[in-house]
Amino acid sequence: MARGQKIQGKRVAKKLTWRQLLELDGCARCGECMVWCPVYEQDKRECITARGKLRSLRNIIRDSIGQQEREEFLESLYECSACGQCHVVCPIRIDTPELWEQAREALVSSGIPQPDGQVKQLQTIKAFDNSFSKPKSERGLWSERAYQKGLLLKPLTLWTERITPVLYFAGCTASFDEQMQSVAVQSARLLQEAGVDFFILGNDEPCCASKLRRMGDPSFQEEALKRIELIAGLKVETVVVSCAGCYKGLYADYRSLWPKAQKVLHLTQFLDRLLTEKRLPFKYDVNKSVTYHDPCHLGRHNNVYDEPRRVLQSVPGIEFIEMPRHRAFSYCCGMGGGLKVANPEIQHKMAATRIREAESVGVDAIVTPCQTCVLGLQYGVKEISSKIEVYHLNEIMVRSICPDVCHNNIMQAFGYVNKEAL
Amino acid sequence: MLDIQTSVSYYKPWTLFWLSVLFAHVYLDVILYKRFKYWFSGMRLKSFNKDKIGLIVRIWLQEVFFQRHLLGFSKLRWIVHLLIFWGFIALAFLSISTFLVWAAGLLNIDGGRSKDILYGSGYRVIKIWGNAFGLALLFGLIIACYRRFIVKPPQQSQEQMDIVLLLFLLWLTVSGFAIEVLRISLINPAIAKYSFVSYIFAPMGRYTFEQLSPVLTALWILHSFSGVLLLVYVPHSKLMHSIVAPLVIAVNAVEDHDRRDIYWPEARRYRGKG
Ligand code: HEM
Ligand code: SF4
Ligand code: SF4
Repeated sequence: MARGQKIQGKRVAKKLTWRQLLELDGCARCGECMVWCPVYEQDKRECITARGKLRSLRNIIRDSIGQQEREEFLESLYECSACGQCHVVCPIRIDTPELWEQAREALVSSGIPQPDGQVKQLQTIKAFDNSFSKPKSERGLWSERAYQKGLLLKPLTLWTERITPVLYFAGCTASFDEQMQSVAVQSARLLQEAGVDFFILGNDEPCCASKLRRMGDPSFQEEALKRIELIAGLKVETVVVSCAGCYKGLYADYRSLWPKAQKVLHLTQFLDRLLTEKRLPFKYDVNKSVTYHDPCHLGRHNNVYDEPRRVLQSVPGIEFIEMPRHRAFSYCCGMGGGLKVANPEIQHKMAATRIREAESVGVDAIVTPCQTCVLGLQYGVKEISSKIEVYHLNEIMVRSICPDVCHNNIMQAFGYVNKEAL
Repeated sequence: MLDIQTSVSYYKPWTLFWLSVLFAHVYLDVILYKRFKYWFSGMRLKSFNKDKIGLIVRIWLQEVFFQRHLLGFSKLRWIVHLLIFWGFIALAFLSISTFLVWAAGLLNIDGGRSKDILYGSGYRVIKIWGNAFGLALLFGLIIACYRRFIVKPPQQSQEQMDIVLLLFLLWLTVSGFAIEVLRISLINPAIAKYSFVSYIFAPMGRYTFEQLSPVLTALWILHSFSGVLLLVYVPHSKLMHSIVAPLVIAVNAVEDHDRRDIYWPEARRYRGKG
């Protein structure tokens, strides 16, 4: 496959849904997508906007695209974090993130691959079932080590031992990334503190494969079906995921293939239920003024806004201040849609913009329930040498409920070098 | 029936006009048929929740007929579009309905009422309606031109086709009024005043029928054939959004009706702060 080869419009069109084919002709060119696009704010070219991409995709399908426009389109289709802001503001209601992902898939199916960085990442995911090039035998290590180091109240139940009504699905980043394993440990510990009887898949936990969808890999459906078969076979009441990307994958991407995907809850939704049942044993005050960053995959894509806010505000000592752009207008940190892989500088600038916004409301910290956003926002902090702290929501929770599993303690216990304070 | 002459019979090349309408219509229909066939050749849609039909229809009506979403961005742009939208729709409705009444008269299936509706007692309703909505359309287009050519907001599309469309619609509206202005100058002022906008500009009684007749014919040809051209131009212009938008809005309402966050978000609250 080569990026320079001729694109056959008919082949691309065949891979789009009828809604998407309609949408290509529906743009009223009002430019709202331009006003709100966080990537356009960093790279002011018409081809970056939804309006520009729609135009070029239409020209591709009609086999009337020129060389320069084609090159710009192939670049801009991936210079997009699929944040969904353009969908929210579009008065014609063009479902842009779905369209971009489907267009990526349609192009790959027509012989036009993704940019090199994304191709490499996809190859890694397929070869290792994670994007960290780590063997499967290391996936469940975090839970064993956490118990050995006294970070958990009791060992975690493995699916091979006993199936309980709740499955905790840690995801690749929290399982493998040294800086983020604290998220998995803290999630498990919080569930234990609330007395939830749950189990994990350990080394058998698969990658959710949602990144395949994000980058338009045509094997997504086949891979998703394998995972659905595994999870559906467990017959659990609830699947709890602590990663916003996995949530989008398991809840939203799988839904068309697996109607019971409603069983999937993000950890914050589950904690919110526990909060209502008064099962979260808060002990200590966390005296900080904080703001909340909505991860695109949770908020704009899946309508999860209130639960994480309720959970965060329930922590004693927390002073909560909203940023000007929040909920459906939350400013993307740039980590989604493979943008970071394809174009890291843009991501850094986007995150820096978000950090500046957090600074503008005068808080000590910015909190988010997504480990990928935490990483992304940290790039922003570095970019502008900000003093603001970036926390995963879990960190705030454990500082009140079980401070012995704060991020620094976990890093120390695991013998990892703490690159960024969480 | 009003006993005063309301129509002015200057020459109009009807045969050529209707032939071109027929060709333009066939052209538009064929293109739209092909587009619909192509659109619906795509892959399937998510499921449809029949229990929520009330909400879905409400969202659709609010977004299509009142462009609720535009209101969230800017009151001015909302008013501009409402003026263009309702002006255009109401004038199109007037043209189609007067044509049907006229055709019914021609085919003798009107019970003898066709003439009275068009030139008699229905005349004032037709003229007040036409002038009111023509004025709305004109205002909308003038403000849209002001935004495009003077304010020049950075988000404005630079597509030549959009400029052509706007100027073309403006030309159609202005030329329509010009015909009306000259025509009513030849009729009784008591009747002419129902065309309340044109009447302001009409040189009442200043010119004779013989003087105005060729000008009226020329203007009529330019205006009417421009209208025919618009039919041909629709599928190649941004006006396609007026056909496609209601469909996409409907699909989104079906798929995302429970998303209160994306329906009715008040964009103005966030604008300029991020
Ligand atoms: C059917 C539902 C329709 C929807 C949802 C819709 C939506 C829109 C939107 C969002 C814009 C951009 C406005 C702006 O940027 O301020 C627009 C522009 C426009 N629409 Fe519509 N529209 C519809 C139908 C129509 C119809 C029937 C007409 C008939 C003439 C029309 C004529 C126009 C024109 C001329 C513009 C360009 C205005 C400019 O250049 O500033 N629209 N439309
Ligand atoms: S917001 Fe929607 S209708 Fe407006 S220019 Fe962008 S894609 Fe087109
Ligand atoms: S999805 Fe986000 S980044 Fe991509 S074009 Fe839309 S607003 Fe811009």
